[in-house]
Amino acid sequence: MDRLRIFRALLQLRWWLLAGITLALGGALLIGQQALDSLRAAFETDARIVHRVLSQRVVQHEAILATLSLLQPEQGEDRLSAVYSQILAVRRRADGASWPEARLSAAEAASRQTQRVALAGQDFARGRYTLLLAGLPASHALDIGLREMLPREEWPGDPQQSPMRVELQHAGEVFLIQPGRLHAGGWQFAFEKHLAAASQPFNVVARRSIGWPELPWGLMLGWTLLVALGLALAWRVRQQQIARQRAEELLRMGQVARLNSLGELAAGMAHELNQPLTAVLANTQAACRLLADEPPELDTARQAMTQAVEQARRASEVVGRLRRVVERPEAGSGIVSLDLLASLRNVLHLLEPETLRRGIAPQLPTESVCWARAEPVALEQILHNLLMNAFQALDQVPAGQRSLRIDIKRREGFIELQLRDSGPGIPEEVMQHLFEPFYTTRAGGLGLGLSLCETLALSMGGSLRAEANPPQGACFILTLPAAEAA
Amino acid sequence: MTTPLSPLIHLIDDDAAVRESLALLISTVGLRVETWAEPQAFLAGFAREGIGAILLDVRMPGISGLSVLDQLIAEGVDQPVIMLTGHGTVDLCRRAFKAGAAEFLEKPVDDDQLLETLQNAVRQHVQSRQRNSADRAAQERYAQLSEREREVLGLIVAGLTNKEIGRALALSPRTVETHRANLFAKLQAESLAQLIRQYASLVEAAEGGTP
Repeated sequence: MDRLRIFRALLQLRWWLLAGITLALGGALLIGQQALDSLRAAFETDARIVHRVLSQRVVQHEAILATLSLLQPEQGEDRLSAVYSQILAVRRRADGASWPEARLSAAEAASRQTQRVALAGQDFARGRYTLLLAGLPASHALDIGLREMLPREEWPGDPQQSPMRVELQHAGEVFLIQPGRLHAGGWQFAFEKHLAAASQPFNVVARRSIGWPELPWGLMLGWTLLVALGLALAWRVRQQQIARQRAEELLRMGQVARLNSLGELAAGMAHELNQPLTAVLANTQAACRLLADEPPELDTARQAMTQAVEQARRASEVVGRLRRVVERPEAGSGIVSLDLLASLRNVLHLLEPETLRRGIAPQLPTESVCWARAEPVALEQILHNLLMNAFQALDQVPAGQRSLRIDIKRREGFIELQLRDSGPGIPEEVMQHLFEPFYTTRAGGLGLGLSLCETLALSMGGSLRAEANPPQGACFILTLPAAEAA
Repeated sequence: MTTPLSPLIHLIDDDAAVRESLALLISTVGLRVETWAEPQAFLAGFAREGIGAILLDVRMPGISGLSVLDQLIAEGVDQPVIMLTGHGTVDLCRRAFKAGAAEFLEKPVDDDQLLETLQNAVRQHVQSRQRNSADRAAQERYAQLSEREREVLGLIVAGLTNKEIGRALALSPRTVETHRANLFAKLQAESLAQLIRQYASLVEAAEGGTP
């Protein structure tokens, strides 16, 4: 049963849920995408910095060799290692001497041919390589330590902690600069570029893995909650709107139903009364004719008159029965202690479209609660009628002069609600018939509204009266028995 | 054809008091009244060939007065139907007349109005019955004419003289005269004016029917 109920509730809310899921998912995707984009941008910046600073270093090596070749210093080359920590050793082949290793001789030959610095072999496993520049009279070679070459101060991030893996690759050999944290799954960024020195064309390879946990889950969750909250709020507002519309609809329907049942009652009454009246009329007229005959048919005329009397009784019975039907079965049933002001606010709330349309701002009493004894539905019916009357009266004066004031006053054992409008007021001759049933000054009016209000007020032990509201307008005063504050 | 002694008013109302009082009132002017409490019984049992009128209450249990009216009209009942209602709305009134009611009266109804309406209705019914029977007699007589006599009658009605008729039908004026005498006798016409008044419509209908 419970599961069924939950399923029904979900079905009812399906559009809201769909909207919520779409918004939350879309937003989260966008947030994730943005996070990935900025991570990629940061990675590419870091990789470029790495490439740039390494390139600067290797270019420096060429410059050192060029300087050595140009100046041909006889001694003191060893001091270079003190200044440049990555220069592990400076080797020199004096004029006429030869290199101890064949690779150096080969490199010198190459260098001499190209007039440029040549790579004289590398050992990435040990983290070193040798550069050579053929010169005259002496040629120079530098043993360079890769590990010592890394510029600590310009390096982006801590090499031990950084999630980015950086390697130098050349001729199948790999030197790992920093390990990073690579893993399968998620997103993989990669950067690859040769160093900007022809003699040391090492490939800088940077890689970075972004795992699922690195996504901004907190932010995405926050967004989802925000969406849920927003939708819940919107839903609530909508529900209130619907509830209000429904209440208004019910009120309107109630009025229509009352009118319809009134029409039915009138039609039924007409038929019920018409039958005996028809018989009375036909019998008496027949009797008249019989009596006028020469000689008069006394017996038949008498019978007709007896019939007429019987039918007149029948008519009066119909009226009596009708009265018993219309009378409230138990006067005073359903009376409770209630807050008059709250009832008034409730009715005004329902009538808000009417007040807004007419530009009326009803002035309400300042008191917070006023306890009266009344039947809630009957009371609201009276208030609704009185307010609608006031609105229609105010329609007859210019918008600027429309005012509606409601006061609640305590009298001895009673609460008095005064409703004053600035409409055209009630003429004296109308005032006398104001509460009579079927008396109306309105075209198409039934003339039952105020009569009903008065009947309802009386049935609750109260009263309803009207007076002028100087200088202009009408004042209706509803009196109800006061209740002990609950 | 049976000719009833005097006109008969059929009164249909479910309310006994109304029925009896109206019957009494109607009988004071010498009209006979037959009352019916139920529309179904009335529809099943009333004498359709009689002279008179039908006084029908609109609102009755079981079957509404309007549908009784519909059934009467559908059956081709020629007695005028007078509707009687407790609350006559314009709409109801219009529907009743549309359905073929002769008159529409509201309850309670005044004696003068009711009796006058009934007497008018009866008079109209008598007249229409007489007209119908006269028409029927004329038709029967017209049917006895020979083909040639009908041709001659058509030309007489068209206003031709004997001589002109003879020329038109290639007959001698004498033969035309014989046909003319025969058809006057068969149609029991005493003058040319009566002949034309009674039979012009039949001739036109016959010519229209066989062009």
